[in-house]
Amino acid sequence: MSKITINKPDSFVLYNGDEAVARGAVEADIKVAAAYPGTPSTEILETLSKAAKTLGFYAEWSVNEIISTTVAAGAAMTGARAIVSMKHVGLNVASDAIMTLAYTGIEGGLVIVVCDDPKLHSSQNEQDTRYFAVHSKLPLLDAGNPQEALNMTREAFNISEQLKLPIILRLTTRVAHGKAKVQIGQLQKLYRNIAFDKNGSRWVMIPSNAIRQHKILEEKIVQAKQIAENSQFNQIEDNNADIGIIGSGVGYYYARSVLDTSKFSWLKLGFVHPFPSNLVKIFATKVKQIIVIEELRPYIEENLQRLKLDVTGKTQLELGEIGEYTPDSVREAFAKLNLTKTNPPTAIIKDLPSRPPNLCPGCTHRAFYYALNSTYQHIECDNNKCIKCGTCAQTCALEKEKTTDKNKSRIKIHNKTTTITVCKACINPTCTTSCPQNALTKSTQTGTIHVDENKCIGCKTCLQNCPHNAINIDTDKNKAIICDTCQGNPQCVKKCPKHALTLVGRSNDKIVTGDIGCYSLGVLPPLNTMQTCLCMGGGISQAAGMIHAGVKDKIFTVLGDSTFFHAGISALLNISYNKANICVIILDNRITAMTGHQPTPASGKTAMGENAKIVNIHEITKSVGIDKIITVDPYNIKDTINAIQKTLTYNEPCVIISQRPCPLLLTQHNPPREITNKCGNCGVCTTNFGCPAITQTQNNKTEIDQTLCNGCGVCETICPHQAITRRKQQQ
Amino acid sequence: MKLDLIFTGVGGQGIVVLSDIVCEAAILDGFDVAKAEIHGMAQRGGSIIAHTKISENIQTPLIETGKADIIIGFEILETTRTIHMLKPNGTVIVNTKYIPPNNQQKNLQQKTPQQLLDIIKTKTPTVHEINGTAIATQLGNNLIINTTLLGALSALPKMPIKQESFKQAMANKLKEKYLKINLQSFELGRQNVLKPKTI
Repeated sequence: MSKITINKPDSFVLYNGDEAVARGAVEADIKVAAAYPGTPSTEILETLSKAAKTLGFYAEWSVNEIISTTVAAGAAMTGARAIVSMKHVGLNVASDAIMTLAYTGIEGGLVIVVCDDPKLHSSQNEQDTRYFAVHSKLPLLDAGNPQEALNMTREAFNISEQLKLPIILRLTTRVAHGKAKVQIGQLQKLYRNIAFDKNGSRWVMIPSNAIRQHKILEEKIVQAKQIAENSQFNQIEDNNADIGIIGSGVGYYYARSVLDTSKFSWLKLGFVHPFPSNLVKIFATKVKQIIVIEELRPYIEENLQRLKLDVTGKTQLELGEIGEYTPDSVREAFAKLNLTKTNPPTAIIKDLPSRPPNLCPGCTHRAFYYALNSTYQHIECDNNKCIKCGTCAQTCALEKEKTTDKNKSRIKIHNKTTTITVCKACINPTCTTSCPQNALTKSTQTGTIHVDENKCIGCKTCLQNCPHNAINIDTDKNKAIICDTCQGNPQCVKKCPKHALTLVGRSNDKIVTGDIGCYSLGVLPPLNTMQTCLCMGGGISQAAGMIHAGVKDKIFTVLGDSTFFHAGISALLNISYNKANICVIILDNRITAMTGHQPTPASGKTAMGENAKIVNIHEITKSVGIDKIITVDPYNIKDTINAIQKTLTYNEPCVIISQRPCPLLLTQHNPPREITNKCGNCGVCTTNFGCPAITQTQNNKTEIDQTLCNGCGVCETICPHQAITRRKQQQ
Repeated sequence: MKLDLIFTGVGGQGIVVLSDIVCEAAILDGFDVAKAEIHGMAQRGGSIIAHTKISENIQTPLIETGKADIIIGFEILETTRTIHMLKPNGTVIVNTKYIPPNNQQKNLQQKTPQQLLDIIKTKTPTVHEINGTAIATQLGNNLIINTTLLGALSALPKMPIKQESFKQAMANKLKEKYLKINLQSFELGRQNVLKPKTI
């Protein structure tokens, strides 16, 4: 059962801020709810969508924030109540619609919920939506806890209809994801006649209409200020004190939790735009000093300065605009002003290894990134493990030159220094440029060095120029011989008795732009694959800009299916038509995974659980003009590497669709994998692949955690020593 | 009455669900509750910390450093990481399982689980160790550690929330087919505190 359909007015329920907003919306009898997922706002529509059928309203996951906003606006234009929710950066996408919606106004109540993310718990910036309210001239309510979130949502619909204007409700992460005991109100039914006024010129924002509507907006702002001055969300608590504290959001409550509340007077601001300046002036007459406490930008503080009021603000409190406040930081700030005591110091245990977020075990993105990092591979030797036994050189000579003479190996054993060298497939090789015969070329597909034996005269210039001393000369043929990794299947690696040799790729030998989703975690070690993350769909156009600026590298760009629908299609169309030769990788896992598995148009389900026709990404790609499209299964590393290498030969924009559902969607998994005694701890599965289910223990053994492993089997396919197998079913 | 709890562990261990159950139980007993946690990025196998307050008239769910009455640790490294949140002589309930962090921070001298436990014990004498792996094996399910910890929490002296309320909140929150095994796990957790020698 949904948490927000309970019909027991005045009872207490445990809600987070998002759930409280959802409850407020159904108490106000909304008819339409729309959103694009975005932490920390996601649970608003998630909660609403589960209650939609029961309570008889419509809810959708739209493909992006401007779509969701205009869907909700369309509903509100007919007299219905509607809600749209988004994270702060989603507001930027929606702003084109919202700026002009302020002019057109609405008929039914429209509440735009925006969740800011101080401290960037999962965002790319720390913008403060209160300033968007100033920018758009829309009224803004600022919630400080889940109870306020519920009350403000319900009331925002009334204010919206009174003003015929959309209302912005702002939450921050700590409100949205903080849970509290919340008292619920009554589920009301409005029974409205829903109709669109076809003769309303206010809906058509051509200049002559828009200038008139702008004037109307200014009049509404005056009216809105009056409502703010008398709002139940702006409350003075007069304790006859010398110091008055004005605050909004969680900062206000942190101040109350660290101070003796009876020794101060308080002004809680919840309806913050238009700014209730008269109320603040009244408060100012009651106290001798005003302290303002607010996270992010000094919005209230600047308003007080405008009113020529002296204010103790961010500078004096030494609380900046960066990150979020905590009760600890607020206590420290007030302690410096001698208004409260500091806590006794407690030592934080240092030197503990950190535990950053990671792609899950079985993640399809990790598999694809591993393949992408393996586009150009070379052989590395761990000299701590190598015992200079010469097996690798013998294997190489036998494999490549059909001889037992290990001097004809592409791996060189240097007896004097007891080290081993083998071609590192340099990104900018000196051997190819120094060869007087132009006999050496670097493969565009695999990055290995190819020797044209018809041209090579055995002059050794390449050898002298190799910084790694990794080129050998076949003294019989008098030709240079250089490792080609046996086309990605090196025999020396398999035969090394100490597992000291590994076939590895690099993450820094190609440009990989990206954007926002689970796959953003590919920026972290050990994958280190992605190099940009700006905004939704931004990676494609950034890559295009680089190409047009003259960058010579092959550029790859990654985005997910949800992001593709959100902002990727138009960017792909743009590079297709304007001919930017980049490879776009669509990591299609059939879901918006990062925010907790909301359906995308590739999922086949709507927000309300109905079946829907799956939108075919391949067909879209084709129809925007891309001819070279390869679909791969990312779990098949070999095929994926081949596909990536194939794209390196294309001289036109191309697309790889990496297709496999997020493993968290599966209800049945293959048996977990386990490590056999063939393992020599070479580190390919841990250091290079980095699955969180596989760890190297303190005594240098590799282990697979049987509870974390979900049996994807990719580690089994990349292990060069067949040392990973399916766990035998227990008898 | 004031009870400030810190739940900590690794994303995916059921930390958020457990703090929800405790809040639901506290509401059943008429207390005010508030909790704070972060979703999204942190869920992907990262460190998780959930602040939970049970009291009257709560201003904020966030607990100040050195003020938590009890830390409920799902994993020993994460418990050590949050030990500065504990008030002097506070209580620690800790699953002694060690989950190695995935990233290879080779510059750090990694501490053994025993060393981590020793650090925790220098901060407070009241440490209830739970061998989560043994209990999971005994019950044949790896995903019940959170209710074992809940059982231990419910059995602490001066716990203001009734045992029955905890059980009711479990029934409200957990899927029916998993309730029985979770009640067994709850009981084992209780016994771990009431008669630690017998487990």
